[in-house]
Amino acid sequence: MFARLLGESFARNPRRKVLTAAALVIGMAVATATLTIALEVGDRLAREFRSLGANLLVTPESDTLPVEIGGVDYRPVDEGAYLNEADLGKLKTIFWRHNILGFTPFLDVPASISETGAATTLIGTWYQHEVPVPDGTKFETGASATHPWWKVQGRWFTDGADECVVGASLAGKYPAAFALGKTIHVAQNGVSGGVRSLVVTGIISTGDAEDNAVLVPLAVAQEISGHPGKFRQLFVSALTKPADALAERGERAQTDKGIQLTPTEYDRWFCSPYISSIGFQIRTVLPGTEVHAIRRVAETEGRILTRVGTLLWIVTLAALGAAALAVAATSATTVLERRAEIGVMKALGASNALVSGIFLAEQVLLAIAGGAIGFFVGAGLARFLGESIFGTPAAPRLILFPVVLALAAIIAMAGSLVPLRRAAHFRPAVILRGE
Amino acid sequence: MATVVQAENLRKEFGNVRALDGVSFTVAAGEWIAIMGPSGSGKTTLINILGGLDTPTAGKAIVDGTDVARLDEAGLTRFRAEKIGFIFQQFHLVPYLTAVENVMLAQYFHSTTDEKEARQSLERVGLGDRIEHLPSQLSGGEQQRVAVARALINHPKLILADEPTGNLDEANEEIVLRLLRELHVEGHTILMVTHAPSIGRLADRRIEFAHGHLVPAAAASLKPELA
Amino acid sequence: MFWRLVFQLLRGSRGRLAVAILAIVSGAAVISALLNLDLGVQNKLAQEFRTLGANIVISPASGAPAQISGAEVPSLMPERDVQAALQQLPSAQVAAAAPYLYIVARAQNIPVVVAGTWLDQAQKLDVTWKLEGNWIASRADDSHCLVGRNVARRLHLAVGNPLDLHYLDRSAQCSVTAIVDAGGTEDNQVFASLRAVQALANLPGQIGLAQLSVTGTTQVVADYAARLAAALPQYQVRPIRQVAEAEGALLGRIRLLIVSMVLLILILTALCVLGTMAALAMERRKDVGLMKSLGGSISRIVGIFLAEAGVLGAAGGLLGTILGAALSYWMGLRVFGTAIAPRWEVFPATIALMVLVTLTGAIPLRLLGNVKPADILRGE
Repeated sequence: MFARLLGESFARNPRRKVLTAAALVIGMAVATATLTIALEVGDRLAREFRSLGANLLVTPESDTLPVEIGGVDYRPVDEGAYLNEADLGKLKTIFWRHNILGFTPFLDVPASISETGAATTLIGTWYQHEVPVPDGTKFETGASATHPWWKVQGRWFTDGADECVVGASLAGKYPAAFALGKTIHVAQNGVSGGVRSLVVTGIISTGDAEDNAVLVPLAVAQEISGHPGKFRQLFVSALTKPADALAERGERAQTDKGIQLTPTEYDRWFCSPYISSIGFQIRTVLPGTEVHAIRRVAETEGRILTRVGTLLWIVTLAALGAAALAVAATSATTVLERRAEIGVMKALGASNALVSGIFLAEQVLLAIAGGAIGFFVGAGLARFLGESIFGTPAAPRLILFPVVLALAAIIAMAGSLVPLRRAAHFRPAVILRGE
Repeated sequence: MATVVQAENLRKEFGNVRALDGVSFTVAAGEWIAIMGPSGSGKTTLINILGGLDTPTAGKAIVDGTDVARLDEAGLTRFRAEKIGFIFQQFHLVPYLTAVENVMLAQYFHSTTDEKEARQSLERVGLGDRIEHLPSQLSGGEQQRVAVARALINHPKLILADEPTGNLDEANEEIVLRLLRELHVEGHTILMVTHAPSIGRLADRRIEFAHGHLVPAAAASLKPELA
Repeated sequence: MFWRLVFQLLRGSRGRLAVAILAIVSGAAVISALLNLDLGVQNKLAQEFRTLGANIVISPASGAPAQISGAEVPSLMPERDVQAALQQLPSAQVAAAAPYLYIVARAQNIPVVVAGTWLDQAQKLDVTWKLEGNWIASRADDSHCLVGRNVARRLHLAVGNPLDLHYLDRSAQCSVTAIVDAGGTEDNQVFASLRAVQALANLPGQIGLAQLSVTGTTQVVADYAARLAAALPQYQVRPIRQVAEAEGALLGRIRLLIVSMVLLILILTALCVLGTMAALAMERRKDVGLMKSLGGSISRIVGIFLAEAGVLGAAGGLLGTILGAALSYWMGLRVFGTAIAPRWEVFPATIALMVLVTLTGAIPLRLLGNVKPADILRGE
């Protein structure tokens, strides 16, 4: 009988039901969409920050002082320590290998260019290079990942080819020599012989020291400098989690013997992608190196991510609150306007419990149905929002499905209880009289 | 005597149902007519048409010189505001307006409001001490008296009352009927729908309805019995 | 009478309208808080990006930024040209500005990069530097210098030690005031006063480049750079692209996110109002029938209802916006640690939005105009 009453209750007043259903569906769609995005947003924004470039710098442990201005090292090739290019694949074997988005080695060689007779620096690096990883796969990386703001007029050099990219200031000084397609002849400064011909494929403008240098594939720089398979410094771009208290303790524990992490703390620190733990893991696979966070980037990123993360959770809560209100209001309004039915049922002898039960059941069922449809609409909405805001669609999180349904049911129940409680006090006569 | 209402062959169909079928009659100024008949006979439909609340399917309904059947929506609106005063069985006072505001509502839709005049009209029906009350604070009889005051405020040519005492107990019924008698004495033209013969006897003339037709019963004018 | 009707309507229906009122007030509160926040967020985050250091570089049109052991003649700029240009433009936006002259000198017979600059500005341009020791307060202080931690390690320097610098046949001495942990290139450099370095290199009045940190959004920075470039046509003035692009993209995304949320909340609020009004419309059919019987035209009756909706939206919007101002204050504290002041533009904007939402939700009341009085008054 209960089911029958319920069924009949459902069948009545379809127009009102449509409005109720719309409110439920939209309310839960919004809830789903905001929750989906909120779960993803931290990750997305962290990736945004990678456009700031590398946040870790790896240098040889025992090294002479780099003579560096604007990021370009002017030391002669025989001075200072080097690192092995062959070791770089190991970076993709650390615990946080999936967070290593890219790395780029640099080798700067003081050189002279025949066409200009001037001394210039050759910056040997990768733009897009395939690194063999110990597990058999290949990882493509280079300046395209760690220095995304480097834009080139023309095109970048092909990995390992005899090509080069010339800095804009240099090209401006010698336009004839450094035009696109021209060939230049370079040799190590102060060394006779060993002249290489390189084709100019692009002109780069960074606003920094590179504008006065020539970028060449790492292999070319290694040969000219007489140090095959070597490089001087490595920039790494890693997806990190903003530093908190634990991260700082972990970082200080590296240098300060007085600070020890307990085994649990150590595990948590190791298993969180803090910049200090990633740095630690890199040092483990690349012996003889120092790994430092490029603090400007890392700190600013950390601060902004933390702030924005908080902001976005607050915004999400606001949207969720609005959705909850819509759903609760719908349930409450529905119950309110069917006071007449309640009056009739009570006049016929139904107990408060039975009446409440029927209405609650109806509202909860409606809410769950609305929640289910709303979930799919919300997933679509999340995809759309993710696409518009972050450029890649946000994938629906199936785990949210039961959460959304449960939310819908709870809110509908909460919303219905208040008017039902009041309706329990109605005398049927009052309702039936129409007041 | 001037003719206030002239109905000619009024017909009103609701789908397949013919509520009024070729109804013709006249009402002279100052007459109090009782429209009687069993429920479903078309009495309320007739009142609604004469009052401009509904349009006939065919025929003429000339009230104070205007053929209501020919009026468009705007015309009907003005007609209702200026020519007609309604008194309903269920009073139909606006629940969130006070007594005086309910009367002023009629003034508002007619032209301009005049609170002094509205107060006076309430005093006229004996509600001088109930002016600021809400309908929920008034008895049935008091509410109907407010409705009467509202019906009169714009000096209508025709008062249409649909079972005016149907929702009232005996005491209140007595009060409202007395009020109607006073209006009749003052010269208002009243068309009243009722199913109670005792009330019908108060009118100058009775028009019987059955199945949408006029029943040509004895329509002789009888002097209303005075209480 | 019109307004009397409207207010009596509102008063009489306030129970029924409770849900709508709640929806409008809370919707207005959240939306105005978000709008306040959006404007505040853009500014605050832009400030965060400023800590990435300089965002505009002025350099000679071409040439190496450094003096490499005297062998090359680098491109230099007269210091006073740059200063004159900076003075012409409004200085309120410039958080910090400093010229630089780089030379490769020798200390303990090891080549060391020495940067001559205005040391009082260094603190503002390089906010992420950690110092063991003290900053140098005056740019005229020739006798002190800051030393990068790698330099200190290599040359075995501690705070207070003297540092001898040699360039070609000249030399200078300074005292180490602090060791800098910059987390970048600067760890390999020595920082001394511009005067001292110019004297050491015998390049009086010359600088290699100038860096500025301009506060404001990407657009503000770009505008300033453009004006500076116009004032210094013979030199290159460039916003540093690395930061500008990241910042622009991020701020853009956050704004989009907030706007989307605002839209969603508006839709939800409209739904709540619509639901309430639909229920209310059912109850008002009798009143509409009555008013029509009294000679009320559809437009007048609907006008009363729309006015009611408008007042509801405006009043609820106002209350909500006030709450929203408090809310955004609190949110600013939580997110940024400083209060975000409410903007006056948000008030009329939110109230207007709420009125719009309420009028939209009042569609059921508009449809009441079609009620047939005869049906209603007959009691069906």
